[in-house]
Amino acid sequence: MPYRAHLMVCAGTGCVSNNSLKIKEALEREIKKRGLENEILVVSTGCNGFCGHGPIMVVQPDGIFYQFLKEEDIPLLVEEHLLKGRPVKRLMYIPPEEKEPIPRMKDIRFFGDQLLVTLRNRGLIDPEKIDDYIARDGYAALAKVLTEMTPEQVIEEIKKSGLRGRGGGGFPTGLKWEFCRKAKGEPKYVICNADEGDPGAFMDRSIIEGDPHAVIEGMTIGAYAIGAKKGFIYVRMEYPLAVERFYIAVQQAKEYGLLGKDILGTGFDFDIEVRRGAGAFVSGEETALIASIEGKLSEPRPRPPYPAEKGLWGKPTNINNVETWANIPVIILRGAKWFSSIGTKTSKGTKVFSLAGKVFNTGLIEVPMGITLRKIIFDIGGGIPNGKKFKAVQTGGPSGGFIPESLLDLPVDYESLTEAGAIMGSGGMVVMDEDNCMVDVAKYFVDFLRNESCGKCTPCREGLPALSKILTDITEGRGKEGDIELLQEICETMRDTALCGLGQTAPNPVLSTIRYFRDEYEAHIKQKKCPARVCRELIRYFIDEEICVKEGHGCDVCRKNCPENAISGELNRAHRINPELCTKCGLCFELCRFNAIKIE
Amino acid sequence: MVKIKINGKETKVEKGTTILKAAEKLDIKIPTLCYHPLLEPYSACRICMVEIKIGKRNELVTACNTVVENGMEIFTDSERALKARKMNIELLMARAPAAEPVKEIAKELGVEKTRFEIKDPNEKCILCGLCVRTCEQVVGAKAISFIERGADRKVSTPFGEPSEDCIGCAACAYFCPTEAITVEDLDKREVIHDEMILGPNSAIRVPIRQAVPMVPFIDEENCIHFKTGNCKLCEKVCEKEAINHDMEDEEIELEVGTIIIATGFKGFDAKKVPAYGYGRFKNVLTALEFERMVNASGPTGGQIRLADGREPESVGIIHCVGSRDENFNEYCSRVCCMYSLKFAHIIKERTNAEVYNFYIDMRAFGKGYEEFYHKLLEEGVHFIRGRVSEISDVALTPEEEGKLIIRVEDTLVGTVRRIPVDMAILSVGLEPNFGSDEITRMFNLSCSQDAFFLEKHPKLAPVSTAADGIFLAGTCQGPKDIPDTVAQAGAAASEALALADKGKFELEPVTAEINEELCSGCQLCIALCPFSAISYNKEKDISEVNEALCKGCGTCVAACPSGAAMQNHFRDEQIIAEIEGILSV
Repeated sequence: MPYRAHLMVCAGTGCVSNNSLKIKEALEREIKKRGLENEILVVSTGCNGFCGHGPIMVVQPDGIFYQFLKEEDIPLLVEEHLLKGRPVKRLMYIPPEEKEPIPRMKDIRFFGDQLLVTLRNRGLIDPEKIDDYIARDGYAALAKVLTEMTPEQVIEEIKKSGLRGRGGGGFPTGLKWEFCRKAKGEPKYVICNADEGDPGAFMDRSIIEGDPHAVIEGMTIGAYAIGAKKGFIYVRMEYPLAVERFYIAVQQAKEYGLLGKDILGTGFDFDIEVRRGAGAFVSGEETALIASIEGKLSEPRPRPPYPAEKGLWGKPTNINNVETWANIPVIILRGAKWFSSIGTKTSKGTKVFSLAGKVFNTGLIEVPMGITLRKIIFDIGGGIPNGKKFKAVQTGGPSGGFIPESLLDLPVDYESLTEAGAIMGSGGMVVMDEDNCMVDVAKYFVDFLRNESCGKCTPCREGLPALSKILTDITEGRGKEGDIELLQEICETMRDTALCGLGQTAPNPVLSTIRYFRDEYEAHIKQKKCPARVCRELIRYFIDEEICVKEGHGCDVCRKNCPENAISGELNRAHRINPELCTKCGLCFELCRFNAIKIE
Repeated sequence: MVKIKINGKETKVEKGTTILKAAEKLDIKIPTLCYHPLLEPYSACRICMVEIKIGKRNELVTACNTVVENGMEIFTDSERALKARKMNIELLMARAPAAEPVKEIAKELGVEKTRFEIKDPNEKCILCGLCVRTCEQVVGAKAISFIERGADRKVSTPFGEPSEDCIGCAACAYFCPTEAITVEDLDKREVIHDEMILGPNSAIRVPIRQAVPMVPFIDEENCIHFKTGNCKLCEKVCEKEAINHDMEDEEIELEVGTIIIATGFKGFDAKKVPAYGYGRFKNVLTALEFERMVNASGPTGGQIRLADGREPESVGIIHCVGSRDENFNEYCSRVCCMYSLKFAHIIKERTNAEVYNFYIDMRAFGKGYEEFYHKLLEEGVHFIRGRVSEISDVALTPEEEGKLIIRVEDTLVGTVRRIPVDMAILSVGLEPNFGSDEITRMFNLSCSQDAFFLEKHPKLAPVSTAADGIFLAGTCQGPKDIPDTVAQAGAAASEALALADKGKFELEPVTAEINEELCSGCQLCIALCPFSAISYNKEKDISEVNEALCKGCGTCVAACPSGAAMQNHFRDEQIIAEIEGILSV
């Protein structure tokens, strides 16, 4: 019996941790109470992408978008919208600096400017139901491949599509498959790399959580193309929901004869095993990942030989990232020509990014290659909140680089990002505003990488602590002439001589900040000042006595709350901060309603 | 063949050659730290960086694992390569300031000091992974690995506990280029003079320098391959491919006419006398250990040294350890007095040490021996008559501090004396060799009270045994010195030859035989026969006598319950008849 409306409740990790499952229960309860259970169906979907505004629910078929839902809103929402047909404006999205809410999801710019290929089923299916996936043309590509195409034709199609690895390297996928197909050795393996380690990046998690069958289908097609019978998916252990949904998907696919022995009666066998990572950033590097599956210490080894020749247990292995695999079924179904019509000359198709940091709309987005950073940040992202000024955007995760405002019109593709000193990476995108100190940010990422370096090769293991030490010195006022040059010297050696991609790209945060924000470094070193007023050792709090008396009448709030008793003064008199006692905790700054407290 | 250019020089190398090996052929040195020719390249230290140009590629690569390609141009000392190498060595100098190879390479590169923070000035470990890879790839024990990540990375056993998988081969320490690994024996199996390696120091060795044939053998008990199934490094480095680990000990059966038993002796185990502190004090040695030390081909090249490398100022030689002692062996081992005198002479000759001999009786019985003893008396060697009661390191006076104190009753003076010495040598006695029991059973030999093999007659047949064709030579028959052994061996050989030459020997006229009809097959006689002359015939279910072995002793005849065993020659009835005849007169 058809339903009048579907309530698509987001059940991605972000919304689940914001209690979306409780909301779903409340909805079901309320609908039952009103006797609407035969008219309205509540569906839990994968990640919607607009994670900063969760928990999220979309009412279909109208496409009404609700955000920041709370359990107590549910009775009203059901009554108003579902019973009386009056959508609740209070729970809708309001764009920055506007008053009127936007009811429909497709009218919200965050969604409107996206192009969904990898995330084609986003918010439309229940990831735990294979039928939902099949209803959206799921497994049609697999059927086509197994019955109408030879492995060579599949590889040719992928080659023609121009698809490049979405894990960061950007190696042409079709070519990689061909190498593996032609490599001598049996059995061959395919691996799905779902060890997503970049802080703040969750593209792969969302895809597995929201559309696990797309990955399974992609891997099965890949296995057919290269001649593998066994596949592995390596997921970080910090993704329990993704693991669970993937298990369910594998089970369902097996029940439907879409995985396992004699798939679709064609005689092709393929099985997937789930391996959980132990939480090391470096395990995302393909040779380290293979070592980890083999049960060895997860550290990279020199290439060549590439995994296509000698991979898992020394056998030819094709390893692709989650997003790459999820693209395969669409390419097969809609054709290489269609896929290659999206994007730029060298980078085809779309790319999923997780947009985070100082931007109004944070979340997961999918955009065509070649889109400008400005469009992503200011149109989809809605710009910088609180009227602050944009400073830089970091792409490519912790070992990515920072791109300044002057390059915001840069088209997003593999080559131009690399040229600008950043990388595509797996798709992290962190926006910084004028309140971010670039030296401090560089230090933050260097410290992250220092802790995650496996420690195998000298430049990465010893270079990162050396960088960290110098950056710490600079941010704490001990910077000296020549520090910038020394940083550059270390960085160049790391880039030139580190063993794996992690080490080679690790200097990017430092190099790109020096390249575009050298003046900030110099201010730290020469004037011992932090222009963004972040580095504690280099700033000083003081009270503008005029404002304090004239506007605040010496309200005394700061003095009363100072934990160190560093502020002196009394009502109606100007207050003062004793710099010797001040620990720069910033409490007075936050408390002063008259902006009388200044930082320099 | 692949055509390449290294530093401008054109050369051709075989396909699959690494840059490092190709450069080696042209005598171009590329520094390495984590590379070892016997292990898989690890390319972790990043010191062997060289610049390559091929087609559009122009990059730095590690020479240790990068395989050359046709048309590749390699620059081992380009500005870019040197810059990278210098930075990496500078970073390593901060990590491991005490590592000699790092210092050497830094010096070659002209890097004088590091600009980076030194955490531990004594650190030697450069995390090259040679130990870990040796343990995994060579030994196959996988007892150690890296733990922690990044800058905290270090080599460890699981949980930092002594690993059960460690076979104690010390290969990790051997492969360590910076001496960052030291081997400690946690089982307290303390090795006397461990720095001199008095025992075997390699699983492949020539038994002794005078061995015939002079070929090495693999000691299976200490060979890593026989413990883990891995290693086989010797096979890799032996160019003649002479090593075969699959060879096995085999039993060879030979048919011979005569046998000479010369199984020798074993030295008395000095640990059985705990009071002498052997095994506890490093400077208490057995005579054989001392013999090894003073040997010119020995570990010290014949120099007499204490455990700490000093020359001793005083040495005590204790006679009759395990001999002439009712707690151990009552017999005199005959050789100890003279070798002890030889030691005293050598010590006097090679050092300025005072030498004390502690003896019970001086037995200088051989030709020229007494004269040698007198010579030593003139050389100023001290002789103290009395049995040593203990050796300790408990000092009672300042002079005794740091010395071994030998406590002895001087029976000539009639007092108990304490003699402080630096080194004590235990003149251990001779005992029958290991496995003597087995040989006794195999050849049905008899042993005397002291457990040495018994000869047929002490005066008339000193090299023969009760069994014809089996002869004794050397210390298996009793303690004796080298001249006596040589003389006895000569005698045994000629007796054996005489018998072999004749090709036959005379049977005893009086032997036993078993009456087939009477024998019940109880096999009682077989167990009793001292010459193993009776065997059991399964088909007939009777015992049978081998006449060639039977000596006619009559044991079986007396024991046979059914009277089937009978002695040839005079029968019982005949003897009784004769007795009766005599008595009737």
